[in-house]
Amino acid sequence: MSTSVTAGEPGTSSAEPSRPGGGAAAGRRLAGSPALRVIGRRLLITIPVLWGVTFLTFLVLNALPGDAATALLGANATPAEIRAETIKLHLNESIWVRYWDWLVGLLHGNLGTSLYYNQPVTSILGQRIPVTLELVVYALVITFVISVPLAILSARKPRGAVDRTSMVFSMASLSVAPYVLALLLILVFAVNLQWFPALASGTGGDIRDLTLPAITLAIPLIGFYVRFLRADLLEQMSEEYTVTALAKGLSRWKVLSRHALRNSFIGLITVIGLNLATLIGATVIVEQIFGLSGIGYELLRAINNRDVPLVEGIVLVFATIVVLANLATDLTYDALDPRIRHGRSRS
Amino acid sequence: MAVPVADALSPAPPAGDVAAPGRRSRTRGLLRTPEITIPAAVLLLLLFFCFVWPHIYPVPPPTGGSILDSGLPMWSPGHIFGTDNVGNDIMSRILYGGQVSFEVAAAVQAIGLVIGGALGVIAGYFGGPVDSVLMRVLDVFIAFPSLVLILAIVDSLGQSELNVIYALAAFSIPAFARVSRAATLRLRDQPFVVAARLSSVKSWRIISGHLVPNMMPQLLTFSLLGAAVVIILEGALDFLGYGIPDPAPSWGKMIANGQTMLSVRPSLVIVPSIFLFVTVICLNLLGDGLRARWEVR
Amino acid sequence: MAGPLGQRVGRRAAPSAGASSAERHEPVSPGSGPDAAPLLEVSDLRVRFRSRDGMVVNAVQGISFTVEPGQTLAIIGESGSGKTVSAYALMGLLPRTAQVSGSIRFRGVEIVALGEKALQDHRGRNVAMVFQNPERSLNPTMQIGDQITEAVRQHLPLGRRQAADRAVELLRMVRIPAPERRCHEYPHQLSGGMRQRVVIAIALACEPQLLIADEATTALDVTTQAQIMELLLDLQRELGTALLMISHDLALAASYAEEVLVMYAGQVVERASATDLFARVRMPYTRALIDAVPRADQESHVLLPVIGGRPPDLSAVMPGCSFAPRCPDAQQDCRQSAPPLEEHEIGHWWACWHPCGTERPADA
Repeated sequence: MSTSVTAGEPGTSSAEPSRPGGGAAAGRRLAGSPALRVIGRRLLITIPVLWGVTFLTFLVLNALPGDAATALLGANATPAEIRAETIKLHLNESIWVRYWDWLVGLLHGNLGTSLYYNQPVTSILGQRIPVTLELVVYALVITFVISVPLAILSARKPRGAVDRTSMVFSMASLSVAPYVLALLLILVFAVNLQWFPALASGTGGDIRDLTLPAITLAIPLIGFYVRFLRADLLEQMSEEYTVTALAKGLSRWKVLSRHALRNSFIGLITVIGLNLATLIGATVIVEQIFGLSGIGYELLRAINNRDVPLVEGIVLVFATIVVLANLATDLTYDALDPRIRHGRSRS
Repeated sequence: MAVPVADALSPAPPAGDVAAPGRRSRTRGLLRTPEITIPAAVLLLLLFFCFVWPHIYPVPPPTGGSILDSGLPMWSPGHIFGTDNVGNDIMSRILYGGQVSFEVAAAVQAIGLVIGGALGVIAGYFGGPVDSVLMRVLDVFIAFPSLVLILAIVDSLGQSELNVIYALAAFSIPAFARVSRAATLRLRDQPFVVAARLSSVKSWRIISGHLVPNMMPQLLTFSLLGAAVVIILEGALDFLGYGIPDPAPSWGKMIANGQTMLSVRPSLVIVPSIFLFVTVICLNLLGDGLRARWEVR
Repeated sequence: MAGPLGQRVGRRAAPSAGASSAERHEPVSPGSGPDAAPLLEVSDLRVRFRSRDGMVVNAVQGISFTVEPGQTLAIIGESGSGKTVSAYALMGLLPRTAQVSGSIRFRGVEIVALGEKALQDHRGRNVAMVFQNPERSLNPTMQIGDQITEAVRQHLPLGRRQAADRAVELLRMVRIPAPERRCHEYPHQLSGGMRQRVVIAIALACEPQLLIADEATTALDVTTQAQIMELLLDLQRELGTALLMISHDLALAASYAEEVLVMYAGQVVERASATDLFARVRMPYTRALIDAVPRADQESHVLLPVIGGRPPDLSAVMPGCSFAPRCPDAQQDCRQSAPPLEEHEIGHWWACWHPCGTERPADA
């Protein structure tokens, strides 16, 4: 949908023109201040985006038929009890007032109180975020450790044995639904082989708990990145500078890994930012299946409970991560590509 | 280029040095490429299976099975894939569930293509404030974890196939808009379009006559690849319980329901998973194959 | 001596020497007399490409020539003549889909069918190449200095410090000002001419005995072109390197080369010293090439004599001379059997049944 795994060419965030254009300001002589200017400019753009996200969430959630009071008290509560609870939770005030309250609180670093847990949203987030973070980092590590070498090996001999197999597997990997993959992995590794637990025990600090979920997340990513990197590497290898490199007497392997990879890496970084939103969507499902108490799972529960402040908080976290990640990848791209870093030639 | 660049690592001499044999076959070649024809054939087979077969052959109904029939294993007489734990024939649930998947995917992509595609073209062609506004809005959707919004929309509107379509379309539209905008920007400065603009051809005619036809291949492949994503997402919705309402069958729900019996009767999960996987991979292969073909030109 | 193009023919005189063009045929490097073994001996080189759908392209159809140490040889031909493919064959850079037969001997060692490891040793140390597009020949994300030291350390056992010093030295040799600073810059910060100098520096890093310049100045403006050619010649003199120029530009060959090979459709059709070639051109093709160059002493608004027709399809092997369909002097026997390349006059080979200037009244 918003980030289809195989579809289209990745481009940077639609807010900025593609590739070097966004770094136009960086073409000045001094290195430090243009970078800051660029960062500042981009941050300024992201704020309305973030605002839009939270507002949209707020709107949608408050259009929901059920409400938190009923959810909290259960179906058997009397109307009077519900009314009292509603007032207590400030749910009787208009939507605009509530949103304003929330926004003001946000600017003071206060995300409100969870209607369900009756604790500050920030503390709940504080407990849940590390779990998800560990999971995502673990998954990304697995992804890169496998994708990069595999892509290089595939690009080394196009249509060779390694290449064909890796293309088949990568296509299969990115066609598998995360929930299917999770269940299959559980079936094979947890139930039959009993190498890993199916459900997380405790607060998920244990690597064994995280391994199957991380693999579930990693496999579709690997499929995508291997294809992407391989294609980019092949494109680089048909550039003339690789001929110059070969003419120096370098081996093919060295040209691939030392010359082509440098140039392909830049493209890869861009793609990572784009895939982040899909990754987040997947963590929601994966956490639920494996029983990990991270923010993904929490999100589901919060939506169920109509716990608006908590949902808002989580959505804000997600959106911020995505926006910051895109910003970071744009900046990293500008930093890594020397053409942008040092400005155009002065021939 | 006549000289094949078979080796990524050995350069082929520049094209100018060897005379090109010059020979092109178009549609005939299309049918010869197995990476396009096989997935297409499989998809057609699946479509036939889901939509036509129940009208030809008396398939047992997907719901309302009796407990007496429950738990039948695979390959039982009259129930090729067995029955689930309330007695429904699994094969029939696969067929009708497949209908849902295909319908939702087709509808969502159609809406996205028409509305999103139009928005993107307009923004890309006319630029200016229209474009900026659209870009901000797109950014919001991109930054948004889609699953959240979809869940929320479905939750608020109520569960039904139509609402699922609306919810998913809310993300298909920005995706198409982004693709069509990028394509428009790229085409807009091509010589033939510039020539048309300079000749005072009406914008509308430029768009419909020049831009859209040149974007269609790209949009088409994006539709296919996007459809694969939609099917997975729709399955996810059903899996989480927010999608198609009970008792209608869907692949996602079948997988979810089979979770509890995973170790005892894995076929409950495996069978719909296989159908899901095959459908998605065929869509991906088809989309990828077409894209590879149209890019080489 | 003025050539038919109105320019000076023969190698540009060295500042010290004022020798006549006849002496130019001596190998330039000291210490090697005429009996020295040729640096490069190509015999009946053939290169065929087979594409996936079975199409075969005969890019090079049996060429033979030698290069003496320190000599300057030019290979002239239009696109599709096989000149670049030949150059790549000399470097061992052809893809695996290429079928190479015949012999290429570098200092007596056979290059064709050499293993990959040996070819890696060969490239850059024995033979090096300068390419056409300075914009694309350098890795945009790598510093200049690193790209040069990489070439140096590939074949020479130098430490990092020493290699860096050598890189600076090489940049100085190719006359790039402020070489220490340039080492830390990126290709896009240099102009086209400077980039080409860097490519030359990379090529000469390990002092190869043969330098191939494949259309090395085609993408440059005329002034820069002259500068680069002068640089190449000076370096050649200093290092004793043989230079193989590949070009479609006759004037360039005339000005700078000692000996010229003309290729057409994968074959050598004429070969002579530069002066002989232009003074006594034999092949109708070569003559047509010469005629097609615009001349300063021509009247303006005169139609240039263009060679009609198109280069032949290299996937088909046809009997007869490959130029016959386009040759104004073609006769019956030309179409029936292909004329062999033979040394009809001393130092002047051609492959033609009815060459210019022999049986017919001499014309321009």
